[in-house]
Amino acid sequence: MRTRIRSPRRVAVLATVAALGAGLLAGCADDGDSSGPSGGTDAGGKTKITVGVFGAFGLKEAGLYDEYMKLHKNIVIEQTSIERSENYRPQLLTHLASGSGLADIQAIEVNYVAEITETQGDKLVDLGKAEGVKKDNFLPWKWAQGTTKAGKTVGLGTDVGPTGICYRKDYFEQAGLPTDREAVGKLWAGDWQKYLEVGKQFKSKNVKGATFVDAASGVMNAMLGSSAERFYDKDGKLVYKTNPAVRDAWDTAAAFSEAGLTSKVQQFTPPWDQAFANGRFATVTCPPWMLGYIQDKAGDAGKDKWDVAPAPKPGNWGGSFLSVPEAGKNKEEATKLAVWLTAPEQQAKLFEKRGSFPSAQAVYSLPQVSGAKHPYFANAPIGQIFTDAAKGVPVQPVGPGDLVISQNISDVGMLQVDQKGVSSEDGWKAATKAIDNALDK
Amino acid sequence: MTSSDARIAAPARKGGAALPRAGGPAGGGAAPGGAPDPREDRRRARRSRWYRRDVRWSPYAFIAPFFVFFLAFGLFPLLYTGWASLHRVELTAPTDMEWVGLKNFARLMGDDFFWNALKNTLTIGLLSTVPQLLIALGVAHLLNYKLRGSMFFRVAVLTPYATSVAAAALVFVLLFGRDYGMINWALGLVGIDPVDWQNGTLSSQIAVSTIVIWRWTGYNALIYLAAMQAIPADLYESAALDGASRWQQFVHVTIPSLRPTILFTVVVSTIGATQLFGEPLLFNGNAGATGGGDHQFQTLGLYLYEQGWVNLHLGRASAIAWTMFLILLIIGAVNWLVGRRLRKNA
Amino acid sequence: MATTSHSAALAETGTTGAQGPVGKSGGGKKKGAGRQLHAGRFTYAVLIVFTIGSLFPLVWTAIAASRNNTRLAQTPPPFWFGGNLFKNLEIAWTDANMGSALLNTTIVAGSIALGTVLFSTLAGFAFAKLRFRFKNLLLLLVIGTMMVPPQLSVVPLYMLVAELEWTDQLQAVILPTLVSAFGVFFMRQYLIGALPSELVEAARVDGASSLRVVWHVVFPAARPAMAVLGMLTFVMAWNDFFWPIIALTQNGSPTVQVALTGLGRGYIPDQSVIMAGALLGTLPLLIAFVLFGKHIVGGIMQGAVKG
Repeated sequence: MRTRIRSPRRVAVLATVAALGAGLLAGCADDGDSSGPSGGTDAGGKTKITVGVFGAFGLKEAGLYDEYMKLHKNIVIEQTSIERSENYRPQLLTHLASGSGLADIQAIEVNYVAEITETQGDKLVDLGKAEGVKKDNFLPWKWAQGTTKAGKTVGLGTDVGPTGICYRKDYFEQAGLPTDREAVGKLWAGDWQKYLEVGKQFKSKNVKGATFVDAASGVMNAMLGSSAERFYDKDGKLVYKTNPAVRDAWDTAAAFSEAGLTSKVQQFTPPWDQAFANGRFATVTCPPWMLGYIQDKAGDAGKDKWDVAPAPKPGNWGGSFLSVPEAGKNKEEATKLAVWLTAPEQQAKLFEKRGSFPSAQAVYSLPQVSGAKHPYFANAPIGQIFTDAAKGVPVQPVGPGDLVISQNISDVGMLQVDQKGVSSEDGWKAATKAIDNALDK
Repeated sequence: MTSSDARIAAPARKGGAALPRAGGPAGGGAAPGGAPDPREDRRRARRSRWYRRDVRWSPYAFIAPFFVFFLAFGLFPLLYTGWASLHRVELTAPTDMEWVGLKNFARLMGDDFFWNALKNTLTIGLLSTVPQLLIALGVAHLLNYKLRGSMFFRVAVLTPYATSVAAAALVFVLLFGRDYGMINWALGLVGIDPVDWQNGTLSSQIAVSTIVIWRWTGYNALIYLAAMQAIPADLYESAALDGASRWQQFVHVTIPSLRPTILFTVVVSTIGATQLFGEPLLFNGNAGATGGGDHQFQTLGLYLYEQGWVNLHLGRASAIAWTMFLILLIIGAVNWLVGRRLRKNA
Repeated sequence: MATTSHSAALAETGTTGAQGPVGKSGGGKKKGAGRQLHAGRFTYAVLIVFTIGSLFPLVWTAIAASRNNTRLAQTPPPFWFGGNLFKNLEIAWTDANMGSALLNTTIVAGSIALGTVLFSTLAGFAFAKLRFRFKNLLLLLVIGTMMVPPQLSVVPLYMLVAELEWTDQLQAVILPTLVSAFGVFFMRQYLIGALPSELVEAARVDGASSLRVVWHVVFPAARPAMAVLGMLTFVMAWNDFFWPIIALTQNGSPTVQVALTGLGRGYIPDQSVIMAGALLGTLPLLIAFVLFGKHIVGGIMQGAVKG
């Protein structure tokens, strides 16, 4: 650092400056190659369509892009994935609001689909009018969720999350409960309170190392998904505070916690994953996408121990849509692709390969859906179980605050009750306070 | 863009050195002597004119690149944010503004979440900064001994600095796990009950502070070490002659000599602590920007983020940003006053 | 040029000036580095404990990356490497497209570091040694900028970048961070002490143009601080993720931190693969620290001396 040798220094400085220049050039060249996120035409005269998704959406993994590219030789599909939905949503909103940086097709999660239809509806292509789209193919409630108030369908449904209950047969046996999935389903059929009663029974048998459910908020979310109205009523009015269904879900979930039936872990955090691996949960409310999660987390140790039974009441938890931004460069080709990807045949393939449950009711009767069994879950007839559930899911109105409300109810209110032992009343107050603050513009 | 922007090295010597006469007499540089050739004269005049311009305008040329970029990418966003803070504006339509005056600021006064975040920022700031600097001071003191493998130690303590907040948070979330984390496991070995690092107020703040301390202590230690090595040895010698113990030497010679350095690190750490964001965000596992179920480790930076990027209220978030800015300005002013007092006393 | 030899001499003194802060405050190694008492066992013990604390989380990242989910969930946690390290690294490498991400990050961090160092030195020199109108006011502005919380400038910044149609291009993350108020302040503070005003004056009297002064006097004197600032800026730019994740996508030209956000398998994050990704993202810097640790530490200490 303190040498006096000058010329090598100068050479070094010049070299770095040159490198900087070259770097900038290279950077620009890079950008040229990828020709931006909005696609374009590459050297071979092919049209590039970009698809922006969160997590591993499954489209690529199921080979759907490859298939489409085989069918359409002039199309190249590229996917951008952001692992965490929390990072994806603000990015999507910023990009939509500014009309730049968008992929040709953007995925939307059900939690904020209403926010998108309400605030960004004019920035998205009306896919309802696109060629080859049949409204009747889709579940009516799914279709409604992707449609703006003005009747413009900007999001085509991909998967849905009809819920069942995953349970551990070995723990049920130890607790003296039935292990056959039909008998298990009958234990709580039609009433979440019965689920709670079974939990108390389970608890009284002191099964070592396991709690009845993972977290109180899991129960609450499943219950909320099974009510006719959740946070908004049919007129779009915010009713979460007065809706008895919400209160019922809250109270029941809190009762799970107060009865000591939970593991006091927060869903989708590393400790929750670890608890799966250690077989800590006897039951988990599970939509189809949860099956893969359990299989991955619980691993070989859980094989043949898990099974799936119907939930007390059919409900929906999760699911997504595809949309085409108006600002995209290849709107037409993108629309065609989005329509193709959400068409019944592709949804059936997606279910077969990835377990994402179709929102296209047209395929429920197909044998590869209705007859599907899951080997990890003791060959449970998941096709049948989830098809039944999907058909029973109520047409639930969605609203722009869905994400914020459900997040604060789960991660603030119910978390306090479940993990910190706060009383149900105080937890509710904390949740509503946080929600009021979050919704107040 | 990270909160650590200002946390780089300490600057060198403050104040001092008189300003040079940069605008010195223009003709001074011209070579004396030589034939009074008119062409030469003209050339000289031209050169001297050019020279005067050079002296006069070059300072602006030197600061220009910084200010050009700063105007475009620093000041514009700052002013925009200030403007947005006076409006109701949502992230879903950032150009759609509705004037609300000072409402966004006024409501912060009655906003429990804001005060909670301010309190957390303060406690986490203290919990992270004080131990960090004290440990750094101690480690620097030890590193100042004649050591075998001193370079190894110096490089080793600096390595956490190379780790991104994201990577660090990932590891610490696992280490601090309540049920299967290594720290609770180790505590269990010595008979301490597992701590709920995520949910307790103090425990979660300690955990978040630990990430900060881990990343920055070694770095600060090196800065202190550098300053310690610049302390004249005769100060110690005379102290030793006066019969001062090693501890007394440390207190009465080392610490006073390090005062400006310590002050600087305090300021830089304070700025970092006030803007603390990444660590509490990522310590929450995947559970968003609430800073825990009871907002127990939600800092101002995180609350700002929640308002802007989760709740999508740009106007309200802007008001929080500007409030943070003002708080920092006040801290800066206080620091300046304290610094002046210290310099006067010294 | 008649001044060649002279400027070489200047440069020489300039370099000496750069050593100044170390030397002047303590009078050189003899006295300044004085009081080098020999370390006792206690000192070693404490330092070793501290070193282990510093290194352990990194080592454990590698351990976690070499295991699988199931093992990570068990108590006691793993303390030694398992057999999955290379498998996980490979998955992370391909899934996150690490090759091009590393290249992009090197370009981004390198450009930002060079830009910051260059512009900060110029402006720092002007603020430290030159006279011009509104100097104090402008300096105050620079210092004030340091205190702006970075989270919120993201929205207007994104609107600007979108307007310029830079989304998803590397300049979107390079240019907004190309200068740093801290860098200017840092260089100013350093140069006030490290660059003797007489040198600048002497060069001026000699008829040297401003650029010559900068090249032959200022840069040599500022070298240690420039090296430190460059290194620190590089590390920071390398690890930045908040702005890049908004401005870039994985398909365009992602940086490492952006690429890592795509890791994990959808709803099913694999902790050990994510750890492997984190390790991959940190590794280049760690290797640099191991290889050049001596210089980096020396740089920080030299550039950070104060009195």
